[in-house]
Amino acid sequence: MYRFIRFAILLMGLLSASSSFAADAHLEPLTTADDLGPVVEQPIEFPHNRHAKDMGINCIYCHTYSRRGNVAGIPPMQKCIGCHQNIESVRETPRIKKLFEYWDAKKAIPWKKVHDLPDFVRFNHERHIKRFVFQQNRPVQEVCGACHGDVKEMTVARRQKSLAMGWCMSCHEKEHVVVAQGGMPIGTAAYWYAMKKPAVKADGTVVAKGPNDCSSCHY
Amino acid sequence: MIDNNFDRRDFLKVLGWGGAAVALTGCGNTSVQDGKETVVSYVEAAAYVAPGISTYFNSTCAQCEAGCSVTGRVREGRVLKLEGNADSVINRGKMCGLGQAGVQHHYNPDRVREPLLRNGDKGETITWEKAYELIAQKLNGVSGDNIDFMTGTISGHLKVLLSNYMDSLASKNHFVYEAISPAVQRAANLKSYGVEMPRFHINKAKVVLSFGADFLGAWVSPVHFSQQYAQFRKGSDGQRGVLVQVESKMTLTGANADRWLVVKPGTEGVLALGVINALGLAGLSLPAAVAAMVKPYDKERVSQETGVSTDHLVKLAAILKERSPSLVLLGSAAEGYAHGSQNAAAINLLNQVLGNVGKTIEAAASVPFPQVAPSLGNSAALRMVNNRLADGQTKVLFTYGVNPVFTAPKETNFAANMAKAGFKVAFAHYLDETALQADLVLPLDSALEDWGTHIAEYQPDGVQISIQQPLMEKLHANTRGMGDVLLTLIKKNRAAEYAAFEDYYAYVRTALLQNKRQFADVGVDDEVFWNDLLSAGLVNVAGTSNKLVAKLASEIKLPAAVDTDAKFPLRLIPSVTASLRDGRHANQPWLQESPDPLTTIVWDSWVEIHPKKAAELGIVEGDIVEVESKNGTVKAQAYLFNGIHPDAVSIPLGRGHDAMGRYAKGFGVNPFAILDRVFDDETGELAMHETLVKISKTGKRVIVVKDEGAAGGNQHGKKIAVNIASDQVELSGEA
Repeated sequence: MYRFIRFAILLMGLLSASSSFAADAHLEPLTTADDLGPVVEQPIEFPHNRHAKDMGINCIYCHTYSRRGNVAGIPPMQKCIGCHQNIESVRETPRIKKLFEYWDAKKAIPWKKVHDLPDFVRFNHERHIKRFVFQQNRPVQEVCGACHGDVKEMTVARRQKSLAMGWCMSCHEKEHVVVAQGGMPIGTAAYWYAMKKPAVKADGTVVAKGPNDCSSCHY
Repeated sequence: MIDNNFDRRDFLKVLGWGGAAVALTGCGNTSVQDGKETVVSYVEAAAYVAPGISTYFNSTCAQCEAGCSVTGRVREGRVLKLEGNADSVINRGKMCGLGQAGVQHHYNPDRVREPLLRNGDKGETITWEKAYELIAQKLNGVSGDNIDFMTGTISGHLKVLLSNYMDSLASKNHFVYEAISPAVQRAANLKSYGVEMPRFHINKAKVVLSFGADFLGAWVSPVHFSQQYAQFRKGSDGQRGVLVQVESKMTLTGANADRWLVVKPGTEGVLALGVINALGLAGLSLPAAVAAMVKPYDKERVSQETGVSTDHLVKLAAILKERSPSLVLLGSAAEGYAHGSQNAAAINLLNQVLGNVGKTIEAAASVPFPQVAPSLGNSAALRMVNNRLADGQTKVLFTYGVNPVFTAPKETNFAANMAKAGFKVAFAHYLDETALQADLVLPLDSALEDWGTHIAEYQPDGVQISIQQPLMEKLHANTRGMGDVLLTLIKKNRAAEYAAFEDYYAYVRTALLQNKRQFADVGVDDEVFWNDLLSAGLVNVAGTSNKLVAKLASEIKLPAAVDTDAKFPLRLIPSVTASLRDGRHANQPWLQESPDPLTTIVWDSWVEIHPKKAAELGIVEGDIVEVESKNGTVKAQAYLFNGIHPDAVSIPLGRGHDAMGRYAKGFGVNPFAILDRVFDDETGELAMHETLVKISKTGKRVIVVKDEGAAGGNQHGKKIAVNIASDQVELSGEA
């Protein structure tokens, strides 16, 4: 019984997945359509806009772990304080006062998660930052924005993209075109096949550079 | 034991609906916690900390006394996994299952978290200040002669602090108790070789003859010996080493042997002397005294007494003579008798006549700082403490790292005797059987939260001082390190002397820095030295090596025949398993659920019975049998096992707790409880294999929960690896 149900659901999933991809005949541009997440109330209404737009602070200045590990992490509070202890002009504003309350008590701020993936997926920030920021020299805000939306226009962050697997693939297909053996493109649903086997061009170059194995992300 | 009362059909129904539920909920991303889950960042982060990236710290495994150095993987301030430290000469980057479970000791939900003071049947939470005050108050006016401190094996600076503390109390009563220890062997080695624990080179031997030494499982330093064994099997000059194991109950090492010889329990010494005699007859020159001594042990007599065929005996002597050097080892199976010391002497004599001393047996380096050398445990200590308690000589009793109420035979009445002491303090990680009898229970840091230094008894190369350092912050605010507690206690008596040490960390650091010149080059900065030391997790000192003295035993008295009793016809072998040992870690579920290597049974005790004996008694697998000794009974499931002498039954040690925690309490039975009080004649060690029992069916039967298939691990008659002698092969018909 269990097996049948599982099989039926898998089949349904497959059908809906393939039909929805068949509908996307044209690939989306780099920044995909928004799929807004819930509005999340944070303990301190952190103004990303003030920092990233008005001040022009590089995302990686605070989210420094993003280029070093799997997770971007939330900056340690000492990072906030490092600057703000010297910025007298805003020292008495409600949000900064609250920040210093936490700091004085040496208590971590209980931020709420905005971007989360299921536990069976591992997304690696480091690889993406290394490739787009350090190898291709693209502007940081564009690179981060591809997945996180236009954060410089937000106060507290809100999830902008769906972050589901199909959404990941929408980029990976476009940027790393997958072709079947013999050089024949097999459409937008090609990753089902290509994940098992990257195609090799006549001149020996491997065409599919995206994750070619389930275990690239599911491990 | 598990009673299967529910219906198979019901079970399938539940499984079906459960499966459907899993499949349905599996559709959505239920683990996504957008806007709900908190993501806690650091307030201040060290420069090397990045979320998601592990850092590694070296420390020392405290699961047994082998002193393996470990590397802990730490992420986001939590220790996740332990591995062996490659720089350690003891374990050389490897680790055993018992060690791996060390994280479950640390994260265990049943750890004691607050100091508890007895109030009737309950423990009342008190503060540490109150606890210290109470100890001072109870010690006040008590003569040092009436203060006993009972610990497990202890070494390093903790031992120094403890002996200084006992000194400050004017007490000489520090008793080191280990329920399972090679104490008989130590005494025998001291007589034969001049040292208690020499170095054994299994890897240099061409033949290893082991009398019940389970060196791959639980004997002395199993991780180290496992690696030696691997080299031994590859062979030093292309010749694969041959392992012969002699024992009455198959151990993991026995299962790996080329030849497993089952002997009548207790006749190991007879066999050893028989082999010496056979070696002499085969042409090996024996000293005249030895030849005269072994003369009565001709092969027919030895075969009759031990049950080993004359053919095997002659073959064994032949291979030992042909392949040199060899190595003869001696384990708990040979030690555990009233004549255990005699067995050990006979086995050591075999090593001597084979010329192994100096080749495969060498003197270990002696520890250059004797005050930190390990205080070795034995079971004679239990007897002493118990006698003192029974006589009312002990007024205040401290226990640390021991659980005598669990490991003492019931007949000793240890729990009742303990009650006679006016004030009992247990330093504990769990509320185990002994802690439950105490008046004051003081919660300790786990081994992964505490500082320390350890020196193992078995030192394979020089002397390794293993450093223990915290791998993470303390989990519970009110636990304390044992060193810190002792330091606080000693400060009450010798404030001036110890004022300079704020805590145990400062004490260890100062002590090691004072001896810096022993470990490092001249001119190394203190801070650099200390950081290097912590980063390495160990420090090696050459130590001085004494030469072994070979003293031939002049007289070995072996009993003519091993006692049997018509009422109790079978011998109980309480077996030591690699993961549970004496049961101190039974509350770590990984150890409970990892299948026994030989029977694959999990989470329960069993009684090993030879199939022949079982057929005689009408017992089949899963029958609940009652094992009765003079001192009590235990009931457990029967397991039919070819690897046991038909006149013996075996129950593994370590299970059968009635306290300690959710994973230990109520699982299995405790064979310690029904042991007879028989002691080794020379050392006074409890003779663990001297208990005689009878077994009877209770009429109940269960399904044995085990990993192996229904047919069991029995490969007899299944023709899995069919073979034929080469001279029997008829090749004339081949093209």
